[in-house]
Amino acid sequence: MIMKKVLLLLLAVLLLGGNMMAQESKPGKTQFMVRGYGFAGLNYLNNADGTDVSYVGSAFAPIFMFKQGDRFFFEAELEFVLEKNQLEIGLEYANLMYVLNKYLMVRAGKFLLPFGTFMERLHPSWINRLSSKPLGFGHDGIAPSSGIGVELRGSAPIGGTTINYSLYMTNGPTLKDGSVEPDEAGMLNFENYIDNNINKAVGGRVGFFPLHNNSMEIGASFFTGKPGDKGSVYEDVTSFLWALDFSYVQQISALKGVLDIKAQYNHSQVSDAFYTAGEEERDTLPDSYTFNNLSSAYYGQISYRPSMLESKFLKNLELIARYSQLSTPEGSLWEAETNELSFGLNYWITWRQVIKVNYSFINTEGGHDAPEGAGNQKSNTLFVHWAIGF
Amino acid sequence: MKKLIIMGLLAFSFVSLGILTTGCTTQREIAAQKSGAELWAQNCIRCHNIPSPPSYTDVEWETIGLHMEMRANMTSEQITKIVEFLQAAN
Ligand code: HEC
Repeated sequence: MIMKKVLLLLLAVLLLGGNMMAQESKPGKTQFMVRGYGFAGLNYLNNADGTDVSYVGSAFAPIFMFKQGDRFFFEAELEFVLEKNQLEIGLEYANLMYVLNKYLMVRAGKFLLPFGTFMERLHPSWINRLSSKPLGFGHDGIAPSSGIGVELRGSAPIGGTTINYSLYMTNGPTLKDGSVEPDEAGMLNFENYIDNNINKAVGGRVGFFPLHNNSMEIGASFFTGKPGDKGSVYEDVTSFLWALDFSYVQQISALKGVLDIKAQYNHSQVSDAFYTAGEEERDTLPDSYTFNNLSSAYYGQISYRPSMLESKFLKNLELIARYSQLSTPEGSLWEAETNELSFGLNYWITWRQVIKVNYSFINTEGGHDAPEGAGNQKSNTLFVHWAIGF
Repeated sequence: MKKLIIMGLLAFSFVSLGILTTGCTTQREIAAQKSGAELWAQNCIRCHNIPSPPSYTDVEWETIGLHMEMRANMTSEQITKIVEFLQAAN
């Protein structure tokens, strides 16, 4: 009985104390925000198979941010999309971050990888100036986009400008050995959330601003690991990827607006290994074959927005052009040379809301989706997208 | 094509490093003197359009500041100055 009373008293004191403390440190140490983005649109595709017109989108990506004190941060993004009329929910990222000191933070969980800048910084639909990703990113891409692991990152002043850096370790990619899809033997699969081996992939990026007004950034990244299954013949296969990125954004009075140039080059080399040909390829390939497993992709994009013009309508317009190219290994069953040329005219309703009208020409030679002897394949797409960040 | 891009980028970095190291002290002074408004105008436009101060409340700017310090890899000095500017001007 007495015990109970003491406990109650203690509880009351604690609660009161807690309240008083809360009142003292006013704005509160914990902050929670929900942000996110979504888009809707129409794609009008034209290729050798005919024409396809579809409303697309209905993607909804809420982002949860939680800040505790000045040093602790949690961010998570969910992605809701409809795939063949089924709702699919993806976890884009979810990570905890702690500020170690002025120059270093540590992150753990699932995060977007700073392999170049496109996936980490430029892919959300309200940031990406065009409605599609450059070749080499996303589905069937050669650049990794996210991983589960730990990361040290930060930024520091150096000689009047700054550098930024990141070093991380993740579960790393797996190697498609062709046992499930013979056509894809030798490809790296970056969606690897349960590790298939003890080896962890290591990667990093350094970014540098050569000009003191921070208008230009040059970055170099690498990512390396052993993708083969433990105990398999692919156990000792190694992969080494590197990327270079470039960004230049500057308001130029003579042009009466903002000029934005972005570029990234990705290079992927997987060491040689022998793969087994599938039933269909037995006529053209020996049972066991190999090839130089080298892929590369790059894009360059230029956009201009006449933000200094008087006219409210004109200053919200933006013109964009992008070229991208993807080459996959010669001699593999997924060998292809693809290039893309896109143009866009955007209208910015607010800083995070845009209507994009884009047209893109894609040209492919070879490729694992191509019918035998298809030669050159062309597809043109008109995108009309409405994207919002909220 | 690839080699050209790489060589171009390398050459460029060397030249800029050269410019940097010769003009080091003055540039460092310029950097240290930059105001929050200046840093905001120069940096918050690099990836997406620039958000104006009234877009968010004081408390929200703090959360966004830390988010961008992490995501955009900016220095804590830059972010502190920018957040102070945004909170004063919203
Ligand atoms: C290096 C690229 C980059 C720079 C520079 C940058 N941002 Fe961002 N910003 C992003 C990305 C990427 C997102 C989207 C985050 C997401 O959706 O996962 C974002 C999102 C935001 C958002 C939406 C809310 C949020 O936190 O997600 C705000 C507001 C914002 N940025 C403000 C700023 C301000 C202010 C600055 C200048 C200090 C800045 N940004 C500089 C890349 C950048």
